[in-house]
Amino acid sequence: MTRNMLNSVAELQAFVNSHRRIHVVGRRSKPALHQVDADVMLAELSGLRGITEYQPQEYTLSVRAGTGLSEIQAALRQEGQYLPFDPLLANHASIGGTVACNLSGSRRHRYGGIRDFVLGAGVVDGMGRAFRVGGVVVKNAAGFDLSKFLVGSLGKYAIMTELTFKVFPDAPVYHGLRLRYRLLEDALSAVHRCNRSPFELDLLDFAPSSQGWSMLAGLAGFQDTLPQRAKQFVAMLRAETALLDAADVTDDAALRDPLADLTGEYLVKVVIPPRQIARFDDRVRAMPRRYSAGGNVAWLATEDIGALKQILEAQQLPGLVLRGSVDCPLIGKPLENLLAARVKHVLDPQNKLV
Amino acid sequence: MNHPFIDSLKKIYPADRLLTRDVELLPYESDALTAFQTKPGAVALPVDEDEIIDTVRLCHRMKVPFVARGSGTSLSGGSLPIADGLMIGLNRLNRIKRIDPEQRIAVVEPGVINLHVTEAARQFGLYYAPDPSSQSICTIGGNIAFNSGGAHCLKYGMTSNHVLGMKVVLADGAVTQFGSESVEGVGIGPDLVGLFVGSEGLFGIALEITLRLMPAPERYRTVMAAYDNLGRAGDAVSMVVASGLLPGAMEIMDRLAIKAAEASVGAGYPLDAEALLIVELEGEALQVEAEFAELRAVIEESGAFEIHEANSDDERARIWKGRKGAFSAVGRLSPDYIVQDGVVPRSRLGEALVKIDELKTKYQLDVANVFHAGDGNLHPLILYNGREEGALEKAEALAGEILAMCVDLGGSITGEHGIGMEKREYLPTMFSPVEMEIMRDLRRAIDPEEIANRGKMFPAGEAPALQMRGMHPLERQGVISRE
Repeated sequence: MTRNMLNSVAELQAFVNSHRRIHVVGRRSKPALHQVDADVMLAELSGLRGITEYQPQEYTLSVRAGTGLSEIQAALRQEGQYLPFDPLLANHASIGGTVACNLSGSRRHRYGGIRDFVLGAGVVDGMGRAFRVGGVVVKNAAGFDLSKFLVGSLGKYAIMTELTFKVFPDAPVYHGLRLRYRLLEDALSAVHRCNRSPFELDLLDFAPSSQGWSMLAGLAGFQDTLPQRAKQFVAMLRAETALLDAADVTDDAALRDPLADLTGEYLVKVVIPPRQIARFDDRVRAMPRRYSAGGNVAWLATEDIGALKQILEAQQLPGLVLRGSVDCPLIGKPLENLLAARVKHVLDPQNKLV
Repeated sequence: MNHPFIDSLKKIYPADRLLTRDVELLPYESDALTAFQTKPGAVALPVDEDEIIDTVRLCHRMKVPFVARGSGTSLSGGSLPIADGLMIGLNRLNRIKRIDPEQRIAVVEPGVINLHVTEAARQFGLYYAPDPSSQSICTIGGNIAFNSGGAHCLKYGMTSNHVLGMKVVLADGAVTQFGSESVEGVGIGPDLVGLFVGSEGLFGIALEITLRLMPAPERYRTVMAAYDNLGRAGDAVSMVVASGLLPGAMEIMDRLAIKAAEASVGAGYPLDAEALLIVELEGEALQVEAEFAELRAVIEESGAFEIHEANSDDERARIWKGRKGAFSAVGRLSPDYIVQDGVVPRSRLGEALVKIDELKTKYQLDVANVFHAGDGNLHPLILYNGREEGALEKAEALAGEILAMCVDLGGSITGEHGIGMEKREYLPTMFSPVEMEIMRDLRRAIDPEEIANRGKMFPAGEAPALQMRGMHPLERQGVISRE
């Protein structure tokens, strides 16, 4: 396996044109994704970095794929804006890897995930062609939207070199809450109540704790009204759910990072419909876990990836291994799809991108 | 149409759901791009997905082009028929199969009317966010084909952002499913939902769709501000954005549009204004009231000569009725008109409006402007009289210059109507030859015979005849409107 640092689109094109099997690497924040055969050439894109265009007035940001998330977030913060999909692994990952793996954080609950904020991309495909997909303005309906297709595509169809996002103004202040429930079914019923309430939660996660289940909620807004909104929110939960107690959370980082408490050899993302959580959780009780985005994504740590794989296969849920040694990071429900295969045939007919 | 094909269709459809006589085909000869008109060879009216699949497979086998059609409200001519092709009318697949309030999803068939989803979800305190102006009649299948938008796209996104999963039949008859009931949609693996939505019917037909629902806002606050010139209204939008507020909608109408809408609806618009800005905030009551106080201060600073807040739900509804019906209202002032929906970066709206004004003078045609100012989505309405020789060509030349301007300013030739028939010659102005080639290859990889909505999106395809101009019959009756 040879590592090759590629610092421009032209270098990447030349690299694709001169090699038979290629695997893309950003900042290696998700090691499980990079266990490839010895004959595969690694295309390292962490040198392809920098914000190429940021127009706060337009709510748009264009950035090279290898740029670190922390650099992007710092630039946005200066203008009071943020990436509403709340990229995961913010201190380590590149933006390209985040999009390729589709890793949104807990704050995606408010406005949506990566697919909801990607506007366009510059790419190099398996034929070595450099081109753009999507657009650069916040609204565009011209042509096939391959920029959305690339979200979650793991670099197997085309290599993203630049990405354009819609960004939003961030709220001035934030109020975190930890709400305690005795049983999972109590927490689930509270999440369902929240999902149908007019409260616009920035974050809505839940996880097992030493004393039952904790529901983690975040409200964002103005200083003047936030305490009152939080009070009303807790009052609703007290009146209508089996809430044991509620506490303000001052440690923002722990509240917002769904992976904060997940230690274990393997780290896995599972896409799960909320209705399936009770059945799923019954099988993964021994694993540290957190349910995110109102119970639509599960994050799990485990020492036994084989067991988790079997559970996911039995329950027809797709999983992506981010950490730990695996032959293939995709586990659980098979993802083969004939439409995806046809796109692959157009963008990478020689099957170079692995 | 050739007899063997019709004979095969008869094995799928009873006589009352297979239309072949001229008089039966008449309602299907056009859509909301009334410039084009041609009769399809036949119209099939399936009632379930098996009939759609059988029909698509038959078309593929016999190499007959087909067009899937919902309510025929496409403004870009996306659902225009193909002469000697088959029209597949999807209106009878109009079942909302399931609403799951706990998961905040609706599972629907493609012929379900957009607004019916919200009506069905309302009892659970939920709604379906994409709100194209034709939402009372357009279908989810059509919304998916053209990635329809509406007034609230900046904050909530377009149709694509509200589709979580789909079952589709591709143009060669293969059936596939992707996505899930999680808000992540596909979540792991390439986002096939994102690719299929907005493919303008060129990949196949959506059979079943899982939609994301949202909690209905607790409070709306809507304000109208009148300005003595369009530039000042545009500046006000920039001021709102700079303040850090994120309104659900920001709309601007010019003098001609204001007058026409007021005459048509009586929305309470100020008739002495050169430009009217409508801004709407929605969400939690306490938060919205706090934001509204800020918004009010920004608007007061923006040079508006009159500011009016909606004081009741009825008043808010009237304001939106005027806005959503503005183009139909303007259209009534002229025998014929063309609507464009190009996008420019919001900060270049002022430049775009000046340029449109210059083009008005150059071509000696009236143009009314109504636009989604929050996302820079223009909707210039070019008025002309089709009975005057050369008037149509002049209007089309003006429209073409507006699209070129949108591209020059770094925008898009379409924000929400799609390319369809209308803008296909302009697609190469936005995409390089390599990008065009890749999109064509993609189309052929999915539809080798190029039978699904043939002649749309790509330049120089088979086109229906250009025959007439004017309002869509439903538009004349006030049932639908252009945005």
